[in-house]
Amino acid sequence: MTAKATAAKVTSRAADLAVSGLTKVFGTTIAVDGITLRIASGELVALLGPSGCGKTTTLRMIAGLVEPTEGDVLIGGLRVTRTPVHRRNIGMLFQNYALFPHLSVAENVAFGLEMRGVSKAAIRPKVAAALALVQLGSFADRLPAALSGGQQQRVALARAIVIEPALLLLDEPLGALDRNLRESMQVEIRQIQKRLGITAVLVTHDQEEALTMADRVVIMNGGRLEQVGTPEEIYSRPRTRFVASFIGASNFLHGRVIGHDGSGLRIALTGGGEACMSHSDGETKEVLISVRPEAVSLAALEERAQHGGSGLPATVQQVVYRGQATHVHMTLDDGAPLLAFLPNRQGEKAKEDFSPGNRVWASWPSSSNWPVADG
Amino acid sequence: MTASALPTTDMPTRFAPPRLLVGVAMLLPALGFLLAFLVLPSVILLSYSVLSQPQSGDIGLPFTASSYQRLISSPAYRHVAMTTLRVALFTSLFTSLLAYPLAMAIAYGRPLFSRITMSLVVLPLVVSVVVRTYGWQLVLGNSGTGVLNWLLHVLGAGTAPVQVMFTEWAIVIASVHVFLPLMVLPLAASLARIEPSLNEAARVLGAPAWRAFVRITLPLSVPGLIAGLTIVFSLTAASYVTPQMVGGSRGLMLGVLLEQQINTSFDWPMGAAIAAVMVGIALGATAGVEWLVGRRAAARLRRSGAR
Repeated sequence: MTAKATAAKVTSRAADLAVSGLTKVFGTTIAVDGITLRIASGELVALLGPSGCGKTTTLRMIAGLVEPTEGDVLIGGLRVTRTPVHRRNIGMLFQNYALFPHLSVAENVAFGLEMRGVSKAAIRPKVAAALALVQLGSFADRLPAALSGGQQQRVALARAIVIEPALLLLDEPLGALDRNLRESMQVEIRQIQKRLGITAVLVTHDQEEALTMADRVVIMNGGRLEQVGTPEEIYSRPRTRFVASFIGASNFLHGRVIGHDGSGLRIALTGGGEACMSHSDGETKEVLISVRPEAVSLAALEERAQHGGSGLPATVQQVVYRGQATHVHMTLDDGAPLLAFLPNRQGEKAKEDFSPGNRVWASWPSSSNWPVADG
Repeated sequence: MTASALPTTDMPTRFAPPRLLVGVAMLLPALGFLLAFLVLPSVILLSYSVLSQPQSGDIGLPFTASSYQRLISSPAYRHVAMTTLRVALFTSLFTSLLAYPLAMAIAYGRPLFSRITMSLVVLPLVVSVVVRTYGWQLVLGNSGTGVLNWLLHVLGAGTAPVQVMFTEWAIVIASVHVFLPLMVLPLAASLARIEPSLNEAARVLGAPAWRAFVRITLPLSVPGLIAGLTIVFSLTAASYVTPQMVGGSRGLMLGVLLEQQINTSFDWPMGAAIAAVMVGIALGATAGVEWLVGRRAAARLRRSGAR
C-alpha cells in the first residue's frame, strides 16, 4: 500500500524552538542548570549525554510534562512555558512506544486528530496516509500487542506526525530495539523527518545514534551544555576532555609548551616524546592534548626516526582483534594509557605482530593533536 | 570429536516422587476442609429448598417446588428481592465512583502519600462491621439527635429531621463504607499496572487530563473495576449484619429474610430457597458484570496483554 492510494498527504507545520535559561530543581538536586539553545525550523538536534545529565528532563520540559523551575520555552517564537502540555501541538516518541494497548493501530494514529476535533470523514484518509508513510498500511486493524517492537515504534511515529506537530520529540525512541533494527529505524526516522521538514529533538545516550541522525549534537553533562555543534565539529574538535572521551575513544596526553617553530607550538609530552600543534588556545604552558586512537600508528622503536609528526615510546599491554580494526592497548612511560586502532584492511595481514611487552614507537600526524580543556 | 567420546558417568540419582502426586497430596487437606464444611452443607441446604416440611417439622420427601412458587408469587418476597438488587446496584455504583480517586491517589501518589491513603482505606477493615454499623446508627439516627440531623440543624438547612435510618439508603450508605476497600484495592492494582507514559502520550497528543482519563486510564482499568464490582455487588446482596442493623422493615433484604425464615418461622425449605436465590444473584452478578462492563473491553484487553 502506498500513499498514492489516498488523497490525503502528511504535511508539517514545523516551527523553530528556543529554550532560554531552562532550569529544573528536584528537591536539592539541580537536574537541568540554565540551558539556552536555539533550534532552527526543520533541524534535528540530539541531546546526548550520560544518564542523569538532564537530557530527558530538558525534553520533558519542552514537552510540558515537567514544569521548569526557571527559564522559558518558545515554540515558533511563542512563549509556551505556562501552556499546558495538550495545547503545545507536539509529537512525541517514547522509549516504550506508549501505544494505547486497547486501541487498534488506526485508532492509535487517529487519537490526536480526534482530540483536535477533526471529523471522522477527514480522519480516515489522514490516518491511512500516515500509516502508508511508515509502511504499515495493512496493519490498521491490528492491536499494538500483535506488532513487533520496530513496527510499534513506526505506529508511534505515524501517530506523532499525523497531527502535523510544530515539534517532534524523540525520547530514546530506539533504545528497546536490537542493533540492526535500530540502525535501519534511525535512517527511516531521519528520512521522514527530513522529508516533512519537522523540527525535532532527540534524546539519546547512544553516540552513534546522535551522530547518525542529528544535524547538530548537544553534549550535556551535569545538567549543563558541554558543547553544541555538528557531528563533525563535536568529533574532530571536542572542546573538553569530557566531550572527547564521550564521543568516540580518545587518548589524553599532558604536555608542556617548550617553544615555537614555523608550523606551530612544540610540546614536550610528560610521557616522553614530542608533539607539534598548530591549533592553540593562547599561551598556556601546560596543555592537554586529545589524540584519536585511529590516528595513531605503531612502529618498532628503532624506526622512530622515519616517523615524523608527533610521537612517543610506549609498551604494549594487550592486543584485541575487533574485526574492522585491531585495538592495541599500551602504557606510556609515565604510566598513562594509550590506545591505537589499527585498521584491518582486506587482504592485508594485520600489520606487524605487536605482542604484550613490546616496546613500540607510537606516532601520529601533528594535525591530529587537538587541545582540550581538562574538564 | 564425536559426542560419544565424551565421558558419560552419570550423577548419582535419588528417588523422587512424581511432582503431580506431591501437588495433589499438598492440596488434599484444604480440599477436604472445603468439601466437608462448604460443599456438603451447601448441597444439604439447597436440597432442603426442593423438599417438603409437613407440620411435624421433619424435612423430607417428596420433592416439591412449592417453596420457589411461594417465593415468586408473593409480592412481599418479590419486593425484598428487588430491594436487595437495588441496594447492591447502588452500593457498587457509589463505591466505584468513590473508589477511583482513592485508587488513583494510591497508584500514582508519591510513596508516602500513597501509603497513608492506603492505610486510611484499609484501616476500617480492622474494626468489626458491627461496631462500624453502630456508628452509622448514631450518624444517621432519624431523631434530632442523629449526627446528620444535628449537623443539618446547626447549618440551618430545613426544619424536619431527614428520615434516612431504616431505609434502603441507610443500607447503601453503610455498605459503601464497609465495602469501599474491596473496590479500591483491585482498582489501585489495575491502575498501577498502566504505563504512566500512556497517559503522557495522550496528553501530548492533545488530550486534556479528563479526556486522557476517559479514553485511556478508565478503559485500561476495567479488569480492576470488574473485580471490584463483582465483589462489592455479591457481598452487598448477600450481606446480613448491615441491613439487619440499619435497614429496618422498610429496608428488608434477602439475608435478613432468610434468617427470619429459619430462626423465627422455622421454615427451612423457604430459607433454603432464599439461599438458592442469593447464590443465583451472586453468580449472576459475576456473569452480568463481565457481560455489561467488560465483554468487549475485557476481550480486547486480554488480547492486548493487560491484566
